[in-house]
Amino acid sequence: CSSSAGIMLLEVFLVLGTVIIYFLLSKKKEETLPFKEGWWGRGQKPDTEEDTTIWPFKVETTEEELSDLFRRLDQARFTEPLENSCFHYGTNSVYLRKVVSYWKNQFNWKKQVEVLNKYPQFKTKIQGIDIHFVHVKPPHLPEGQSAKPLLMVHGWPGSFYEFYKIIPLLTDPASHGLSDEHVFEVICPSIPGYGFSEAPHKKDFNSVSAASIFYELMLRLGFKEFYAQGGDWGWLICTNLAQIAPNHMKGLHLNLASVTKMGFIHLLSILLGRYLPGLFGFQDEDVRRMFPFLKKGLYRILLESGYAHIQATKPDTVGCGLNDSPVGLAAYILEKFSTWTDLEFRNLEDGGLGRKFDLDDLLTNIMIYWVSGSIVSSMRFYKENLQKGIGTQKHERLTVQVPTGIASFPNEVMHTPQAWAQKKYTNIVSFHFMPQGGHFAALEEPELLAEDILQFVGKVEKEQLWRKK
Amino acid sequence: ESILSQIRSFEYSQKNVVLVSTATLGVGGMLVYWLRSRHKIKTIEMGDGWWGSGERPLKGKEDESIRPFKIETSDKEIEDLHRRLEQARYTPPLEGAAFHYGFNSSYLQKVVAYWRNKFDWRKQVEVLNKYPHFQTTIEGIDIHFIHVKPSYVPHGRAVQPLLMVHGWPGSFYEFYKIIPLLTEPAAHGLNEGDVVFEVICPSIPGYGFSEAPHQKGFDTVATARIFHKLMNRLGFKEYYLQGGDWGSRITTNMAQMLPQSVKGLHLNLIFVNKQGLRRMISVMLGAYVPWLVGLSREDVRRMYPFIQKNIYELLRESGYLHIQATKPDTAGCGLNDSPVGLAAYILEKFSTWTDKSFLHQDDGGLESKYSLDELLTNVMIYWVTSSIVSSMRFYKENISKDPGLTADARVGVYVPTGIAAFPQEIVHTPHVWAKKIFKNIITYSYMPRGGHFAAFEEPKLLAQDIMHFVRKVEQL
Repeated sequence: CSSSAGIMLLEVFLVLGTVIIYFLLSKKKEETLPFKEGWWGRGQKPDTEEDTTIWPFKVETTEEELSDLFRRLDQARFTEPLENSCFHYGTNSVYLRKVVSYWKNQFNWKKQVEVLNKYPQFKTKIQGIDIHFVHVKPPHLPEGQSAKPLLMVHGWPGSFYEFYKIIPLLTDPASHGLSDEHVFEVICPSIPGYGFSEAPHKKDFNSVSAASIFYELMLRLGFKEFYAQGGDWGWLICTNLAQIAPNHMKGLHLNLASVTKMGFIHLLSILLGRYLPGLFGFQDEDVRRMFPFLKKGLYRILLESGYAHIQATKPDTVGCGLNDSPVGLAAYILEKFSTWTDLEFRNLEDGGLGRKFDLDDLLTNIMIYWVSGSIVSSMRFYKENLQKGIGTQKHERLTVQVPTGIASFPNEVMHTPQAWAQKKYTNIVSFHFMPQGGHFAALEEPELLAEDILQFVGKVEKEQLWRKK
Repeated sequence: ESILSQIRSFEYSQKNVVLVSTATLGVGGMLVYWLRSRHKIKTIEMGDGWWGSGERPLKGKEDESIRPFKIETSDKEIEDLHRRLEQARYTPPLEGAAFHYGFNSSYLQKVVAYWRNKFDWRKQVEVLNKYPHFQTTIEGIDIHFIHVKPSYVPHGRAVQPLLMVHGWPGSFYEFYKIIPLLTEPAAHGLNEGDVVFEVICPSIPGYGFSEAPHQKGFDTVATARIFHKLMNRLGFKEYYLQGGDWGSRITTNMAQMLPQSVKGLHLNLIFVNKQGLRRMISVMLGAYVPWLVGLSREDVRRMYPFIQKNIYELLRESGYLHIQATKPDTAGCGLNDSPVGLAAYILEKFSTWTDKSFLHQDDGGLESKYSLDELLTNVMIYWVTSSIVSSMRFYKENISKDPGLTADARVGVYVPTGIAAFPQEIVHTPHVWAKKIFKNIITYSYMPRGGHFAAFEEPKLLAQDIMHFVRKVEQL
């Protein structure tokens, strides 16, 4: 009798002990990510105070730039694709020829530069490098309302230009058939090393560095509280920003929510989730998107991650030819706009590129990489973030307490169920399965994404969720 | 039925006789079958293929003529190259990056300056043409090869035919320094006795001057078959094979396909696929008790720390393999259009795969082992033939399949094999692991120095090992 009581006591202690240890450990995870100081300019950091002015910027082009481009397009050397290969070996060169012909004869870069310049752009020096950004204020505000600042961060191989269709839906929702309960002023910076933001000159510029710089940018613009939205690298940078400055971020909206820290539970849920979805918190749509796991998870990742592998190890090598051959650059970038929009597009001879995007938009994005000569520096970001391996960095172990909204698009390369996301994003306010769309959500499905952002912000504002962290 | 009833009516002792004799017959039959099947070596099926454009023509025999071939160039080709070199756009490297982010563009500019101003392509074409070149059509595509015979054969000496196969990003040109050592050993101070070779170096279809396949599915097995047909067409019934990189897998497939034609197989790189629990255990034990798992001290020196060398470093160096095995047309597109990009991509391998420590050098250590002329000649072969994309497709055709299901996965190699293990090779395969596939290893040599491009970098060492191996085989 006493022995069974003793055993019971032992059990209670064990449970208590585990609970205490769990709380101790999990408390550790709530620490914030420190702001990353840095200086990314050339040579030594000067002793003088950094110049904090913000000056207006306009994209420009010259005849020389255009004739150089045309010369290269004219001299392009193509390799015939294998018979019946469509987009399975990469960008199909027969289709590529058509793109190049359009690029030379119909695409009007001067006109596109005017399109780019329709939104006010600026530059300012932070941590030694010039940061480019677009800043769009609402044309008019409803009575008694103030514009909510929204930072939107692009990824690779995208740019600030991806947001040009969604910006008006957020700064002027009423004119686009959306509710004007919340109106935004949108800030779209270019990640250092991408487009018109100067590339870091020093090693080790990773997502935490970018988040720190964007944090300084928002402060410099006078914003004490703001929302952030991102996909691709923008997802990671905005997540880091939420970890660095949780008290300044009212809400975090993501159209990609990868989980990089996989554990035993994840493995178990992969093995058994198809049969016991409820046990792992999987919904029907999760199961539909994730299983069979080998095909939709592992093999897909292996098939589609060659670019990440080489960019994370030898960016200067792989980017070299792309900075010298606009056709090569186009092939490399267009392949992603094809496959990451819909994996089925690999079976099409034209990669399905005309179905969801305008060739003018696709080429404008490519031209941003071309005229700024930024393809190599854009690729270095992969090495700086991934070279030590996935799941090894400090910020990957930290959670996010900022109210989070996730828009999960069906054609994203890999699906992350809410059950996994909530281990990291502990305060998920909305998680929606979007009806259609892929990786480049803002460019491909601006209305769907804008609606999801609006409803998320609506929830956060209604209950003032940012105060309850 | 009637027999059975007859047997049932036998006397007990007679039943015994029947039983015993049937049993003996049965066992004897099984024994004979087993003995015979042991001698029947499992081979890869030869099969057949068609790689030309469109449908295979039903009528008419393939043109089997062997046509002499000469590499040519033109002013137009050279001017076009120069124009592209002059217009190249570079991205400055990060401070202190050396070769850690890939090919350092500051050094690249120096290479390109040499390429534009000093490198003489016309002269290099003459160098390339110093050996006789030929082309012949096999399975619908033109196969390019050089065929070098010894100019002088001492009386009574047999000339061994030797097929040498290159890899990526190499070419037939990698063998130019080793060929004279093999066709005229005595003249080069290699008095290794009695072995003299006539050397055939083909270009893998899709590489250099061999036509690229137009159909999907062209893998090392198809290449092996084509090269067997080539040797047959040249009149050889038995020959030696030598290979590294893809050449290693192709020649291995050749030995698995027609062992009776392969007198000996010499390799400077081995692909060993079979990883399994046993392998993992042997790796873990090998760190502490190498002798227990058959590893020599040199094996341990080259292979450990295991995670660092075989996983971390391999991951760091295999990005190219990953993208080429999945999206070759994308990866190669820009390289076929920018000679500077092509040079950076190819020469990075000549740096890192020659010596891993070259990563820390601002110039990638390239000129410490090679001359710019020879490095650029190899790059020019890819450039003037526009073969970078088709060369990369070879990765997809060979790697995307499940490694356990390929034709050669479960077939061993029974021909006499010689292995030259170079210390700076990307991955070291110890003798004890090689034996799992290569059942008849005659020589296994730890080479004193040298990396992946053995024939290019250490021709004399490699030639000596080949001759040492062949001499042993001939004595058997």
